Amino acid sequence: MKSTLETLRKEAAHLLKEERVKFVIGYAQGTDLARTTPFFAANVRQAGMLTWTPFCVYSLVKYLLDFRYDDIRLAVVVKGCDSRAVNRLVQDNQFARERVVVLGIPCGGMLDREKVLRVVEPAAALLEAEDRGTEYLLKTDCGEFCFEKQETLLAKCLECEHNVPVVADRMVGPKVPSPARPGMDRFAGVRELEALDTAARSAFWDRHFARCLRCFACRNVCPACNCKECSLERAVPGWQQGVCWLSKRTSLGLNHMFHLIRMYHVTGRCIDCGECARVCPVNIPLRELYRKVAKDANELLGMSLPGLDPEEKPLLTTYQATDPDEFM
Amino acid sequence: MPRTGVFVCWCGSNIGGVIDCPGIAAQAAGFPAVVHSVDYKYLCSEPGQNMIIQAVREHRLDRVVVASCSPRLHEETFRKVLARAGLNPYLVEMANIREHCTWVHGAEKEQAQAKALALVRRAVAKANRLEPLFESTIPVTKRCLIVGGGIAGIQTALDVADAGHEVVLVEREPTIGGNMVKLDKTFPTLDCSACISTPKMAAVAAHPDIRLYTCAEIEKVTGYIGNFEVTIRRKARYVDHEKCTGCGTCWEKCPMQVPSEFNAGLGQRKAIYIPFPQAVPNKPVIDREHCRYFTTGKCQVCAKLCPAGAVDYEQEDEVFTEKVGALVAATGFQLFNWSRVYGEYGYGRYPDVITGLQFERLVNAAGPTGGKILRPSDGSAPRTVVFIKCVGSRDESKGRSYCSRICCMYTAKHALQVLEKVPGAQVYVFYMDVRTAGKGYEEFYQRAVREGVVYVRGRVSKVYRDGERLVVRGVDTLLGRPVEVDADLVVLATAVEPAAGAGETARLLGINADRDGFFQEAHPKLRPVETHTGGVFLAGACSSPKDIPDTVAQASGAAAKVVGLLSREQLSTNPMIAQVNETLCTGCFLCVPVCPYKALERRKITELLPGHPPREREVAGVNPGLCQGCGACNAVCRAGAVEVRGFTNEQLLAEVDALCL
Repeated sequence: MKSTLETLRKEAAHLLKEERVKFVIGYAQGTDLARTTPFFAANVRQAGMLTWTPFCVYSLVKYLLDFRYDDIRLAVVVKGCDSRAVNRLVQDNQFARERVVVLGIPCGGMLDREKVLRVVEPAAALLEAEDRGTEYLLKTDCGEFCFEKQETLLAKCLECEHNVPVVADRMVGPKVPSPARPGMDRFAGVRELEALDTAARSAFWDRHFARCLRCFACRNVCPACNCKECSLERAVPGWQQGVCWLSKRTSLGLNHMFHLIRMYHVTGRCIDCGECARVCPVNIPLRELYRKVAKDANELLGMSLPGLDPEEKPLLTTYQATDPDEFM
Repeated sequence: MPRTGVFVCWCGSNIGGVIDCPGIAAQAAGFPAVVHSVDYKYLCSEPGQNMIIQAVREHRLDRVVVASCSPRLHEETFRKVLARAGLNPYLVEMANIREHCTWVHGAEKEQAQAKALALVRRAVAKANRLEPLFESTIPVTKRCLIVGGGIAGIQTALDVADAGHEVVLVEREPTIGGNMVKLDKTFPTLDCSACISTPKMAAVAAHPDIRLYTCAEIEKVTGYIGNFEVTIRRKARYVDHEKCTGCGTCWEKCPMQVPSEFNAGLGQRKAIYIPFPQAVPNKPVIDREHCRYFTTGKCQVCAKLCPAGAVDYEQEDEVFTEKVGALVAATGFQLFNWSRVYGEYGYGRYPDVITGLQFERLVNAAGPTGGKILRPSDGSAPRTVVFIKCVGSRDESKGRSYCSRICCMYTAKHALQVLEKVPGAQVYVFYMDVRTAGKGYEEFYQRAVREGVVYVRGRVSKVYRDGERLVVRGVDTLLGRPVEVDADLVVLATAVEPAAGAGETARLLGINADRDGFFQEAHPKLRPVETHTGGVFLAGACSSPKDIPDTVAQASGAAAKVVGLLSREQLSTNPMIAQVNETLCTGCFLCVPVCPYKALERRKITELLPGHPPREREVAGVNPGLCQGCGACNAVCRAGAVEVRGFTNEQLLAEVDALCL
């Protein structure tokens, strides 16, 4: 990972020096060993502060939206899972592909912070991280620690389908083997839920949705949620609001509505990056919800995982002369 | 707060006989914003309408709910009532308590009462959020373009042109006339088909207001009702029709022999040819695929012989546009290709198994045999002729599920023609049913039976060759016995299907086709010549199999609609169409591909935001001339930026709340 980091800093410095981009959006070391922070490198010196560790969990692609109407070029660091988000934004016409330089890093999986901090002192300084294929070796000032990937990676990394970015202007670092658990099935969780009877399934989701705080973290992090103004949170004062999709009140019924509306809005568009489930403060398994419609879209309409190809036609918008249309 | 009035109609006993209308009115008086609520026997009657007008004035109503029948029936009526009362006509909301309630719940009165009340509550919730809508106007280009020059297209063109509007007639073949001019006689009157259609073709050519393009196809259609722009490609004919006199020297001497399309492959034509002697325009074209000069580079006989110097091998396709206000699809039909699927009839291997259209050419005095019925294989006169009906029609497994409508009659006609032209001939008709709905049709069929045509009810299981003859093996289901007939000639009544390329035409015109590829009418009964796309009309067999009288009637109907449209100086547009909230639109343009009417387009806007320089960005825009208000864009817009006026999210959610909460 050391050589990858050096290449990344060099590429970033090069882009900034040549003024090809205004910022390089990447990761910097966070407040403790197992934390990184989003970092906007604006000059060569700051490019040297970029980092690449097994804790660069979150997707940086959505930061592009902050600049969607500005006339500047940006570079963004992506892992395999995040790279699909670039295609999502390009496809939704939210960011012109030529305005972004994608720095893709083949990813060996991200470590689960909780599991690491059970072993390592948070205050320890990370000197170097080494990807040894099936395990990570963390060298810190408190000693060296070895983490078996199958045991300590994030759940989403063990289900990884594209650890090498699907889109990248520069591929930074060597290709690494996928951390996915061999023979993993993306829809295994959905199948388990489908196998439940209606009452049990309803109880399952009731249990989860009852906890929802409607904090909108899932929406905020989602690359498919790129509306200017969310239809579930209109900026209209209450006294002016007529009838709306949802009131501000959180109740089980309204939470159901919220999640189902969101599910429909990302149908055929969810790139299955898993960020929603990761950011949820009450651990709602949102990914299974969106995967259910993805699975249906795949089985009924032959829709593959969105975000792999920026040219692909969005679900339910294609038309062929041979389609039956007597219902219209 | 709006002031809403509720009017509950009894519709005589239709509604009043099932539910308690005064009770509904009394309860509706308590709904939000309702200031006046009454019931009446017949609201659509003159006194009923006047009662609403009076109530609007007396109670200063600004929203009206009419609880009565389907809005399809009387919404327009009550809009006019509101206009007469001085209100915006779009401030009326109907609650359908007849079709949706009393008609279907006549036996369960209590529940019907509850449902009717819920429907009224829904309507009140929506009415309270209705906004005035205003029609706008668009200009009309007073010209019409017709696709297809068969009898339907010809009739429409003549009718529209006679009404004083310019017509552009586009035909892809080298001549107009279509299928009708290929026929010999027309049932049931047995008048000569060419004799009644060629004068109409000539009239088209001679009409000062008809511009005829043959060998031409439409390539692109843009615009909307009243203002279409159509791109037409006129294919190279390699003969300059300005110079050509139609003298016929060229085709006399052309060395190439090609199966004639006009004679359904039974005769020969040359590579430079006119399809038939009465073709319009009566000037030849070169068939590039078979021309010796184009295939080998040598020949040029026609160019050398042409006294007018009209042959031009360098001619190229012309592409040009025409601006019109109305479009008519009259693309007609073709016959089902039976030889692909009907193995039991020989897959087309036996030359003496022919289609009805080939029989028409055989029996036609201008056809390849000069009107003598002769076997294509050896030119001998057939003694026994077998007709097989429903080949491809009413056969879901191999062909089409529908009845092709014309086959029963033309088979009866063919059978009579055989009896008339071949003395002592034996004629058998294998049929499933004989369907003869039409003026004089049943009499005609009875005449065929009387004159000795043997009708055998049953399907033919196999046709095979035995020496010179064909053996037709079938079953007589009335006697329950197998039947075997030695035949000299077998004629198949093949199914009628949409002309080749009809799907592409539908796509270009922005209209829908049904499961079988026939164009979809706006309403099968009440709007049979209109489509869901404004300004596009249908004539003839492109919308369903039709015989000649029906085709001509429909063509004149379409012409009446076109003339009605073109007679207006301006069109008022339906205000219940989509609108885009540009602030909310993110410019994802998912609405563009889902719009069946191509009404949504990208537009550049300049946004002014406090503290920012003006910024340009692309958002969706609605073309009011094209939009039909179907709401597909509304459904696909996650941001809720596209809404249909009169069906906004707020209004619909209010209805849902009123029904469910």
